[in-house]
Parts: sequence; structure tokens; C-alpha cells
Amino acid sequence: MAATTSAPAQHRPPRVSSAVPRGAARLLSVELRRNAMPWILPLIAALFWFDSYRPSTGTAPLYSLRTFWNMGQGHTIIDFGPFVAGVAAWMGSRDGRRGMADLVTATSRPHWAAQLTTWAATAIWAVAAYLVFVGIMFAMYARQGVGGAPPWWWVAVGAMAVAAFSAAGFAIGAYWPTRFAAPVAAFGGFLAMVTSSQTGFSHVNGWAQILPTNSNGNFGNPLTDAGIFYPWMPDVPIVRIMFLAGLAVAALGLTGLPARAGGRGLRRAAALIAIAGVALAGTAVGLTTTARLGPHGIVIPALHDAASDKAVTYTPSCDRAAGLPVCLNPAYRRWLPDVRDALAPLLVELSGLPGAPVRASQVAADNASSPPAITFGGHPPALRMSLGQLNLPGQCGFCRGPVASTQFADEMRLLTAHAFVGAGAGVGSPVQQAVQAVLLNAAGVPFAAQPRAIAAAENLPKPAPGTTGPVYAAARRLDALPVAARHAWLVAHLAAVRAGGLTLADLP
Amino acid sequence: MNVDISDVTRRFGRVQAVAGVSLETGPGVFGLLGPNGAGKTTLLRMLATLIPPSSGQLRLLGRDPGGYGPRREIRRRLGYLPQNLGYYPGFTVAEFVEYFALLKEMPPHRVPQAVATAIERVDLGGSARAKLRSLSGGMLRRAGIAQAIVNEPELLLLDEPTAGLDPEQRMTFRALLRDLGQRATVIVSTHLVEDVGAACGEVALMNAGKIVFHGTPDELAGRGEGTGAAGDAPLERGYSAVLAAARSAPTAAA
Repeated sequence: MAATTSAPAQHRPPRVSSAVPRGAARLLSVELRRNAMPWILPLIAALFWFDSYRPSTGTAPLYSLRTFWNMGQGHTIIDFGPFVAGVAAWMGSRDGRRGMADLVTATSRPHWAAQLTTWAATAIWAVAAYLVFVGIMFAMYARQGVGGAPPWWWVAVGAMAVAAFSAAGFAIGAYWPTRFAAPVAAFGGFLAMVTSSQTGFSHVNGWAQILPTNSNGNFGNPLTDAGIFYPWMPDVPIVRIMFLAGLAVAALGLTGLPARAGGRGLRRAAALIAIAGVALAGTAVGLTTTARLGPHGIVIPALHDAASDKAVTYTPSCDRAAGLPVCLNPAYRRWLPDVRDALAPLLVELSGLPGAPVRASQVAADNASSPPAITFGGHPPALRMSLGQLNLPGQCGFCRGPVASTQFADEMRLLTAHAFVGAGAGVGSPVQQAVQAVLLNAAGVPFAAQPRAIAAAENLPKPAPGTTGPVYAAARRLDALPVAARHAWLVAHLAAVRAGGLTLADLP
Repeated sequence: MNVDISDVTRRFGRVQAVAGVSLETGPGVFGLLGPNGAGKTTLLRMLATLIPPSSGQLRLLGRDPGGYGPRREIRRRLGYLPQNLGYYPGFTVAEFVEYFALLKEMPPHRVPQAVATAIERVDLGGSARAKLRSLSGGMLRRAGIAQAIVNEPELLLLDEPTAGLDPEQRMTFRALLRDLGQRATVIVSTHLVEDVGAACGEVALMNAGKIVFHGTPDELAGRGEGTGAAGDAPLERGYSAVLAAARSAPTAAA
């Protein structure tokens, strides 16, 4: 067999080692320009607006409440995940669908590297869009004066979830390069999120803490003051990030296993990467089984940093009610007038009585602060308000409708009087109930309105309804005394009232 | 020798697509002729390092493609146009060619010029920014050729490169082949014997997985003289005569 000519080839092989990273960057740039993900983003944006942002605006303007739905219960992930999985599957199946597999494989760059570049472009678009959408949402919250700190750890969980969905979808597309891969991956993603949501609602601890839609123990009442009085607890977000990263790494490792992916060494590395991903995800699940409920959220001992428990320092916002300072965390500044106006009439009544507060200060709502939301303590005594446990005036989100200022004032006065007479967490003795009724009546909550206020108050044990029983009869007797005489009786007998040593017959 | 294969076979289950092919060739344009199912595409896919031979020796550009490192080095110097060219419809012509230049690990600073040159050589300069989905079949084929030559390959494998090209483009393409063959080994698989006559210095004819003729186009044409074989041109008559002889004596070789 003879060759046509014997002239040697003039081609000089390129210097590869230095060129590869820049070449990969250029390749990524091409993939970013021609990725399918941007086409789906308007749809995701619309869904995000209607499912994640709009419902949140119905809640009180605190980050802990605004993000309960979209971060805690994972609606931002639900909005992104299935679509991202579908588009990633579309991109993963591209070479097979388009009959490009031979052409791409016949190039010197390992096929797996080319695939990872395609995935990276897809994931970059998806994660960037997620961060931009969440960033815009937070910017709008900031313009609305939402108080507290954004839950950045939970944003990181969402971003990693989006990356994991893209990796899983891409792997499905790579292994099943048909036009059906995308809808199947999207539907699979949707099913995964539905399952995650349903399981998350019913499992408050244990392995189910790994589910990205499980808000139990980390969001909501009584953890309303997360990001306000104490930092967002990072323990659960860290294990979720580990879990999701493990899934993503495992899925991407799987795409490097087929023979055409590259050389034996590369495929061996891909197998090791897949195993490492599974191990990482498994470790994360194992860590969640050690989780326990701490005062500020779920604690995972192996990951817990004591710095996470340090209170956030702040300069309180103060006003005066009945001559006493009333101070709130600045995140609650907008409700300071409501609190001041609610407390003022009652503080006037309490003035001069034993144990009357010298100031009213807000305290954190957390897992350690059980009801009642208002207590007295310290020397000299201070009124301590855990406002995070209360429905604040305005939009509530999980109430039947907006909370009226009068409703809030009645509840504040009721809880304050309840605590002042020493009723504690129970309904109180009949005498304590009677004195409470007298104080409330004097503070602007008439006897007739009190049963309704008691019924409306959350986390407060309910005494027998109505105002016709012996308690209210005794209360009316005490209330009928001249103000000075009533005041003098209270000064003389309040310690006994608190100790539970009196009967209704002892009331004047 | 850029291509040095010895007694190469390839089986797909019970089907033997290539049955003991031996071939040596250096720079120049090499035509691979044969009827459908003769094994041309399978042979080209082996030369493109996409599938390994079932048996036999294969050396390309002085390397054994059985090892991953040498295979990667071969692929860096390889240009390949498959019979069924897939494409990404959303890519422009320039992006498509650039994409493959980068997959072939060309130094990034050389890529823009190489892309422009390759596109000009296939006469698609005016459509460089056109999306592939908007191109005709012939233009797509030219875009495919552009990606194959963008890295100035030492071994260029073209499977039916002129399918869909109009006569004017085919003539231009033959000139391009002759130019490329000055320094690279160009193996062209085709049904169109006139392409072989116009561009190839060497030709092999495959039938049933075997090479039944290997020589120059003139020698192939000579095989048809006085045989009464069917065909409008000498090369076609030679092609028909060799095939007829091979079919009547399956073990015959050139």
C-alpha cells in the first residue's frame, strides 16, 4: 500500500497544559450563551412572585415571619426545583438527542469534562437566578422596612438545592437522552418536593430534618425572634447543604462512569466522586438523627458552635408610657406606639402598687420562653414582653385577618394584668381573676368586653366564660370602691392575692 | 504513516462490519468507496477512535489509540465529520466551530483566527452569525466540515462530506480537499465516484467489510475497460466491475 505523498505533516501540537483552563473558561462562556435555562426563567419568576413573594407579604414585617413560608417551608425551592431539573435534563440529553455524541467524543477534551461544562453553565444560570430572585425579594422587604436579619444560611440551602436539582436532572438526561427526559425529570422533581413537604409537616425531628421543606424547630412561633435577638441557627442549614451537595456530587460522578466519558483513570475518579457524594449525603442524614431542639432552633452537637448562641447586641428603641420607659428591639420599632398606648392606662393603675414595674422591656421569643408572653421580674421589677409570641397589629399572615390595634391593646393589657396578679401560666385563683378583671376595667377593657379579649388571647388558659359568675360579682364590688380605697386595699393585699391566700369573700 | 492498520476487524454481535482490513497511508486525499453496508462508516469510526477494533492492529499518527493518553493526543490532531451530522440549533456557525475548536483543546488565543479561517474555507463567512437552525442542508454540511478542519488536523475523516452540496460547492470543496491533502491525511468516504476522481490520489473500494480494491483512481477506472460494466464514466465502470468481481468471488482482494 502506498501513500500518495511522503511529505511530513507541518502541524505543531498546541501546548495544552496552560491552555486548558482558559479553554474551559471559553467553553463555559459558549455554553452560558446558548444554555436553555434562561428561557424558563420568566416562568419561574412568575411562579416565584405568586407562590413565594406574594403570600409572604401578608405576614408581619419581620424576616423571621416573612421567610417562614418561602424559606422555612421551602417554597422558593419548590418554585425552582422541578423546572431546573427539567431544563438540566434537557441539556444533559442534548448530545444524545442531537446526534452529537460521536462528534463530541471524537475530540480530545474528555466527554465528561465537556458534559460538566454544560452542567456548570446550566447550574450557574439556575443558581444565579435563584440568588437574584431572592435578592430582589429581600430588597423589597428592606424597602418595606422589614425588621431583623435575612436568613442567609437558608438562602444558601436554597441555592444548593437548586444546584442539586440541576445535577440530578442533568444525570437523568445524560443517561436517558430522549426528549422525554426533561418532563420526566421535572415531574420527578415535583414529586420529590411534594413528598418532602408532606413528610416535613409530620416529622418534627430526626432524619426528616434533612428535608429542605421542613420548617419544624427552625422557623415560626416561638422562634419569631431568630435574626433579631439571636442569630439564625446554622446547624440544620449546614447539614442540608452537606446533603444536597452530596446528592449533586453523586449525580455528577455518575455521569462520568460510561465508557465514552474519558479514560480509565477519569472514570475511576468519577466513581470515587460518586461514592464520596453518597457518603457526604449519608453523613448529613446521620447527623440529623443527633439533632435536638435548642432554645434558638435545632442544635446538631457535632456542628454546633457556641458563637451561634450569642445574643445579637442592639440599641433598644424606647418611648415612655405613664412615665415609665418602654423599650423594644429596633426590629419592632414600628410597633412601639402600639405597645406604649396599650400599656399606658394599665401602668397608671399599677403605679404605686407593690411590684409595679419601673420599666417595660422586650425579651426574646424562643424555644425556652414558654407562655405567658408577658412576665414580671427583676429588682426593681420590670415588665418583660415577649412580643414575638403575640399577633402584632397589622398583617398577621396566619390569622383570619389583620390584627386591629385595639385587639392588640386588649391582649397586652390582659396579659400584663394576668402576670401582675401572679396568675402565672394558669387561669389564676378566683381572687386573682377578680383583681385582674378590676385592673383591666380600670385600664379601659370593660367587664363586658373581657371574656372576648380572654377568648382571643393566644396561649392563655381560659377561665369559665361570661361575666355573671362569682368572680365578676366580687370584681364589681371591688371596682365599686372609690379609687383611693381600692388602691389602698390592693397595696395592703396584693401580696396575699399573688400568694393565693384569699377567697372571693375576702374582697371588700 | 499517519494511518497504519493491519488485519482489523469489527463485530457488532453476530454481524461482522469490518473483516480484516489492512491499510497504510500518509498525507494525501484517500477515497473510500463502497456500497451501503460495506463497512466504510464503521472503519471511519474506528479511525476516529470512537470504537475499538474487535481484533487487529491500529496505529494512527504513530500512536496506538488503545491507550487513553495516546488516544487523546490523536484526537487533538483529528478532524471528523460523521455521516449524520448532529448540531445544536441555537448555536451560530461561529459558535459551533469555536465550540469544537475548544473541545479539541486548541490554545484559546488561536481559536478566533482559526474559527474565522475555517469558516472562510467552507465559504460560510457571510453566515458566521447565522443560527444553525436557519441554515440549509448544504450549509450545515459545510459548517460540519468547518468544525472538522478548524484545528488543522493531521488526520481528517470525512464521511459523505459532499452530501447536500450543490455542484458549485462540490467543486470548491474538492479544491479544499486537495489543499488539505498537501500536508494531512484526508480520508473521504463517499458514494460519489466523481469526487474521488477529482480529488483523491488514492482510493480503496470496500465490500462486505473488506477492501476489494486499493489503488489510484486511474487504476480503478482501468478495471472497467472492456468489461461491459455498467456506468456513465470510466470510474463508475471500474467501480461496478470491481464490485461485480468481488461479489462473484467473495474472497477476492485487489
